[in-house]
Amino acid sequence: MAATSQISPQSYNYDIVKKFTIMALVWGVLGMFTGLYIALELAWPIFNFNTPEITFGRLRPVHTTLVIFGFGGSALFATSYYIVQRTCQVRLWGELMPTYTFWGWQLAVGSAAVSYMLGYTQAREYAEMVWPIDILIALTWVAYLVIYVQTLRRRSQPHIYVANWFFIAFILATAILHIVNNMAMPIGLFSLSSYSLQAGVQDAMTQWWYGHNAVGFFLTAAFLGMMYYFVPKQAGRPVYSYRLSIIHFWALIFLYMWVGAHHLHWTALPDWTSTLAATFSILLLLPSWGGMINGIMTLSGAWDRLRSDPVVRFLIVALAFYGMSTFEGPLMSLKSVNALSHYTDWTIGHVHSGALGWVAMITFGSFYHLIPRLWETTMYSTRLINTHFYLAVVGIILYISALWVAGIGQGLMWRAFDEYGNLAYTFIESVERLHLPYIMRALGGLLFVLGIFVMTYNVYMTIRKAKNEKAEFEAKIADKMATAQ
Amino acid sequence: MAPTDSNKSDSNKSQTKKPAVQTTGHAWDGDIQEFNNPLPNWWVWAFYLTIVFAIVYWIFFPAWPIGRDYTKGVMNDIEYTTADGKQVKTHWNTRALFEKNMREAEIEQQKYLDQLASASIEEIANDEVKSNFAYSMAKVLYADNCAACHQPGGAGVVGAYPNLADDAWLWGGSFEKIKTSIAAGRNGIMPAFSAKLTATQIDDVAEYVLSLSKHKTDVGKTARGKEIFNGTSGGCYFCHTKAGSGMESMGAANLTDSVWTLADVPAGDNLQAKKEAVKAIIQKGVNRKMPAWDERLTETQIKILAFYVHQLGGGK
Repeated sequence: MAATSQISPQSYNYDIVKKFTIMALVWGVLGMFTGLYIALELAWPIFNFNTPEITFGRLRPVHTTLVIFGFGGSALFATSYYIVQRTCQVRLWGELMPTYTFWGWQLAVGSAAVSYMLGYTQAREYAEMVWPIDILIALTWVAYLVIYVQTLRRRSQPHIYVANWFFIAFILATAILHIVNNMAMPIGLFSLSSYSLQAGVQDAMTQWWYGHNAVGFFLTAAFLGMMYYFVPKQAGRPVYSYRLSIIHFWALIFLYMWVGAHHLHWTALPDWTSTLAATFSILLLLPSWGGMINGIMTLSGAWDRLRSDPVVRFLIVALAFYGMSTFEGPLMSLKSVNALSHYTDWTIGHVHSGALGWVAMITFGSFYHLIPRLWETTMYSTRLINTHFYLAVVGIILYISALWVAGIGQGLMWRAFDEYGNLAYTFIESVERLHLPYIMRALGGLLFVLGIFVMTYNVYMTIRKAKNEKAEFEAKIADKMATAQ
Repeated sequence: MAPTDSNKSDSNKSQTKKPAVQTTGHAWDGDIQEFNNPLPNWWVWAFYLTIVFAIVYWIFFPAWPIGRDYTKGVMNDIEYTTADGKQVKTHWNTRALFEKNMREAEIEQQKYLDQLASASIEEIANDEVKSNFAYSMAKVLYADNCAACHQPGGAGVVGAYPNLADDAWLWGGSFEKIKTSIAAGRNGIMPAFSAKLTATQIDDVAEYVLSLSKHKTDVGKTARGKEIFNGTSGGCYFCHTKAGSGMESMGAANLTDSVWTLADVPAGDNLQAKKEAVKAIIQKGVNRKMPAWDERLTETQIKILAFYVHQLGGGK
């Protein structure tokens, strides 16, 4: 065991971690509620209320932006800033720069949401932000990279912990993806509209190279970084295999960059591009599972923790969903399966088994570990953590099974022919059939949203408790000082 | 939740159980260590299997770019004959696969289409195979081309698109007339009278129009309205006829049958509201256009559609 000269917790920059943690929950509540609302709009279109600002088309990017960049992004800033300090045993580099990344990021997320509701969009999925917001994000992201690298360079540990490899890969890749995909020429200095640098199929290809790697690096690699710190920490066990972590890290980041084109099967994209995307997606299955194995096997020898510790339960269920959706993904990327699944709600279900099951659950588990340590207390209620867990799991299962039913049904109806070789169903018939699955999906979403409400309440009470404890402690000291005099 | 470690005691927490596999020897943040377990065997073999799968896939399908060209894949050619009899043989590609599938389906359907091309409407209606095929294809044609305006069930939209499922026809409801409407399109024009008639006159005409469909109207106003309707000041009778029963050749609506395609009279709760609906049409007029489909659909397709629309509810 290497000598560990620890610095005292007071010298870490926890303030920035706290800020990002709180904002992750704020955006999480807003973004997930927006998701629930648009699920209701799909089940009952009356919820559009004939008001352009809140119609599905405008609220959908609000939902995705708030949950991916608001909730997920803030959670990644929080945990990566925490992890890099703790595993390098050094204070986060810079004082103003981390604060700038906080305000820059919050401003970008907030202004993006407002601009979509007002109808301003670039119409690129997960990159809908208009060009001034893109520039703000690019500047914030470069600052993030500088802070991270500078902190790593100043580490007092001989080795860089695996979680940090994932974070560095995520930060670098996201910078490249964001900048290349958003290359555009504004139509005027005072106009929010712009022309994309690419055109036609190249433009679509660039967009999905970005879109899928947003999944690969933002929603996978970075959250694996989170996993690699919080799972061994919470389980109190060493990581299962160092070798596996190296192999699957390099395989993952090498392979992900190739697969974006599987979003464009059966389109104007050249067939060879499509083939490479499909086969590299299959190649990606086992490297993805490497992370799952490493996480779950870390718990081997301590399986009883699954019964006794709800935080471990969050982390392990997250890994299980990660394994499931990284199996489903390669399957759907095969051309023949994609011919059935593409453009249906199956895709939405798949995304959510990753987004709710993996990204959100690993974040919740990590936060339940992180928050009491940041505020130097214990969680207000373990029972509420349990409640959150069951609400979330039942919600996810309802959600994804509803959309399997919806999506596979849609796909089959769209391709069904009668005995005369004519389409058996009109499009509207496939839409009518979605009503029930859409209600079930909204119900699953409702449970998941209730879960994050419970968590937010629990966290709020925890922070209040921490303040009271601190005040009591200070009063006690003051008391002692007074009696001593 | 009871934290397993507090900030203060994070350091120097030792592994209590002696692991069978050695750790790598580093510890981060006090207690994070890594075992040096080998890669699981099943994982390694499964990974190799995906590599084999990928290589096999690359052999049979277009895969790797080489310069400005790419590998085409072997033993996986697509062969088909185009509509104009050209033989096509090409390496596997999605475009050719699509062309081939479409062509095969077209050949299957052509058998039925040939039968329908020469059949009369009675022959189609009375022959089970012919009518089943006509319904099957018309459902798709209707959904693709007509439903956007006339609605999936043919109910139309009051004020904009005529109902095709009832037995009131602006341009005639016989099979031949419906066919003409689809093939050549129609232009429906009701002139605006706000400049020609005074507000009182329009009010009187509307009163009279409502009386035609048996609404209880004011006797005096109705009489004055009738004079305008059938006289030179209004001239409504040119198109709607003196009986108010409309004229198919002009696409002029029958005002006596309680069927309303433009003024939403049934939606009005009282006579005043109903009259406002009629007045709005008289004042502003209407210009409607049914597009011509003969350049987009074949003659047989139009025939099938006309058969379908004729059977929707009220064909004559």
